[in-house]
Amino acid sequence: MVRLIRSRSLFNLVTPSCPRTLSSIAALGYGHPRNMKTTPDNHWVWLGWNRRPRKMLLTSLALLTATAALSLSTSSDAAKVRGIVAGFKLLRNPVWVEAQDASRHAFSFREAVPTVPAETRQMYPFIPKELCLAALSAEKQAPPPPVLIRIGGGRTAPVTIVVPPLTKLSFQNTDPFPHRLYAANLPSFGPSDTGRGANRDWTVPSAGVFEIRDEAAPSLRMWVVGDDNVAAIAFPSLKGEFQLSIGQPGEYQIQAFFSGKKVGAPVTIKVTTADIDIAKNPIVVAKKDSSGAKDKDKGDDADKGNSDTESGGADAGVTK
Amino acid sequence: MLLTRFWNVLLALLLGSVVFVLYLAVSMYNRSGSRTMAERLSSDSQVVSWYLKEDARERAAQLIQFAVNPELARALQKSNEAESKVPPQSQEKVRKVLKTINERIPAEFAFDAIFAVDQLGRVVDHLGYEQASGMEEFELGGYTVVADALHGYIRDDILVLDRMYRVVARPVELEAGQPPVGAIMGARIVDDRFSRELSKRTNAAIGFFARGQRVASGAPDNFDKSQLDQIVGDLEELDRDEAYKEMGRSKVRTIMGTLGVQYARLPGEAWALGAGYVVARRPDQIDNPFGFFQKSDDKDKEQGHIFVAMAVALAAALLGIVFSLFEHTRPLQIMRSEAIKLAKGQLDQLHPSKFRGIYRKIASDLNDGIDAVAAKGGVPRKAADLKQVLGDIPDQPQMSAFSFPGEASSPSAVSNPMVASKALPSAPQRSIPKPAAPAAEAANPNAPAPPARRPPPPSSHEQHADVGETKEQAWRRVYQEFVGLKQQCGEKVDGLTYEKFEVTLRKNEDTLVQKHGASSVKFSVYVKDGKAALKASPVRGS
Repeated sequence: MVRLIRSRSLFNLVTPSCPRTLSSIAALGYGHPRNMKTTPDNHWVWLGWNRRPRKMLLTSLALLTATAALSLSTSSDAAKVRGIVAGFKLLRNPVWVEAQDASRHAFSFREAVPTVPAETRQMYPFIPKELCLAALSAEKQAPPPPVLIRIGGGRTAPVTIVVPPLTKLSFQNTDPFPHRLYAANLPSFGPSDTGRGANRDWTVPSAGVFEIRDEAAPSLRMWVVGDDNVAAIAFPSLKGEFQLSIGQPGEYQIQAFFSGKKVGAPVTIKVTTADIDIAKNPIVVAKKDSSGAKDKDKGDDADKGNSDTESGGADAGVTK
Repeated sequence: MLLTRFWNVLLALLLGSVVFVLYLAVSMYNRSGSRTMAERLSSDSQVVSWYLKEDARERAAQLIQFAVNPELARALQKSNEAESKVPPQSQEKVRKVLKTINERIPAEFAFDAIFAVDQLGRVVDHLGYEQASGMEEFELGGYTVVADALHGYIRDDILVLDRMYRVVARPVELEAGQPPVGAIMGARIVDDRFSRELSKRTNAAIGFFARGQRVASGAPDNFDKSQLDQIVGDLEELDRDEAYKEMGRSKVRTIMGTLGVQYARLPGEAWALGAGYVVARRPDQIDNPFGFFQKSDDKDKEQGHIFVAMAVALAAALLGIVFSLFEHTRPLQIMRSEAIKLAKGQLDQLHPSKFRGIYRKIASDLNDGIDAVAAKGGVPRKAADLKQVLGDIPDQPQMSAFSFPGEASSPSAVSNPMVASKALPSAPQRSIPKPAAPAAEAANPNAPAPPARRPPPPSSHEQHADVGETKEQAWRRVYQEFVGLKQQCGEKVDGLTYEKFEVTLRKNEDTLVQKHGASSVKFSVYVKDGKAALKASPVRGS
């Protein structure tokens, strides 16, 4: 793996000092967010599969090689779009919110710790994995190389991803026990065991929203959004900062996706060869409604036993 | 016999009633047993549920030691700051803290695995979960229990991963009023050991199941926990139990008639996966009334009023005996004694007034019979065909009857006629001497019986025997009497010499002396069925 990283360095692929190259990889690689580490200035860089089990090495190498080859051809023309999202703490992870509902019997007791601020006790999402920012072109885009999706820790990474149809997704189980993924209402992707360290491939069949679930872990839910026009995607940092690498100049709409749905208004940008910084105008993914998130999250301070009836059920997890 | 019969019918009715009541008791016992079993199973199920909840709370309380540890909090904070990779220094510090605090946790609340998770959901370090050893990117942030802890909640969950885990998690705070820097999660494996502890504390037979399989079980000593394997076949039927699906607790079910069970769903992710637990009890039932003997213990038997039962049985038996004595034995004895008197000539006829019931009728009929015979002046009797009765008749006379001294005069003593020899011709039919005035006496039942009805009184011969004569003299006298009586009865006496007669007497005397230990045997003659017969009476002592 060290050799792989070194080889990339030779081609100036993973050097923070080469932002154009990084942008190209980010735009074309559709890599796993956990594999995309941020540099001190929150740039996403591709680090590859350097911590994957050894038996996954060959597969990863093949995928990465293909990605790298494509990147080389386009990276020189990629522009970097930096931005920031706001209001994400008003989003609500639908799985976690559902789990608060006592009628779902997800716990026998649930109590708030009073020393934790009330704002923290809202079930806002872990946006580095759950919020996907996509640059949507006016033109139809070709499917990128296979994208690696990591299954572990009770969720997939990323949780929401936007890709063109016919994109091949490779689900890799990083848990020490099997998973049984399946797509809801899609018989062609039925439940099947994916053992520890094993991969299971699936190609996005068409445009639309596909929900991936796991028979072995009911809380695991993933959304794959098939969009013909998606040119690049990025996942924000915990602070909401993101960076998109767009290879082709043109007009794009930057749209945030959360839990398989669009959140916030799209932002239109015109990409040339120069980098763009739109951080001055944050992309607002959720707004505080007059009824307020507080109303929605009422009772969070209270002791929630099984009689607790607080319900989540937010529309795409957005607090209205 | 009415009383006896009534008593027998009464006893039969009582017996039938007792059997009916016993089967009724069996049915009621079984129904009560089923109801009790259902109540106990429901109680067991709720106790287990309560225990699981309380156990989770107790374990969550143990996590406070981790949550308030500043060293752990600082290590997690360091990890949060390094988004790319968990710093090795943080891992080391976390491991050290986890080990130190884990050793202080009481054994009953000890965890099988402990995880320290940073704000990014990564497991900074853990204890006891060897499956994840060496996995640098091991994380748990997606599980709702961890997510809740990272958002400031304490809660429990039951996860079904490679095994079933009872987990609790709570936030780790570095500073009050600030977001948690991470979470600490403790896990207890739901295995046989956990089930045994649970069973020991709740005194219930418990099995845990997930994905259609039993994953753990524990039971009290008096319960064979392998019986819980039977639930595997019943789990498919469980999906059709509306109460189980809606309320999370099934109705009481009986498997194969040998095991009562109640299922309950476990909270947490296990709920959605259909995992749960089952409590079981054996049905307290019996197949038949004899089952009460097996079910009852010493205390039950003490309260069974055995003495009352024995007294009732004894009283019933006594009453039955009294009735039978009164209605059967006593009349029979009266009849017997009256018959003896009649035979001895002390009575000429039976006195019906002394009898009751059917015996009175019998006595009256006998009297009528006697009168009828007497009115005819006696009835000629045929001599018995000895060959038909005894087979080949020997030449010498045989002793076929004897009696003990006390029974010497009893007419009921069996006696066989002594025959002289095979050469003797069969006796011709002769009429018994007629009574003197049969018609007159027949009219008066109290008058002495006609002499023809009575055999020659043996007392006259015995009086001669009492005289101090020698054995030979006595035997010769008996011989003479025997011959005379045979002639009197019209029997032939040709060939019946004293020598043959003596051989017969001696042989019988030897046999009787040896058999009864008598000192001697006294012989006498009498008429039996119209023929001369010889009676042998053993004499004890000298």
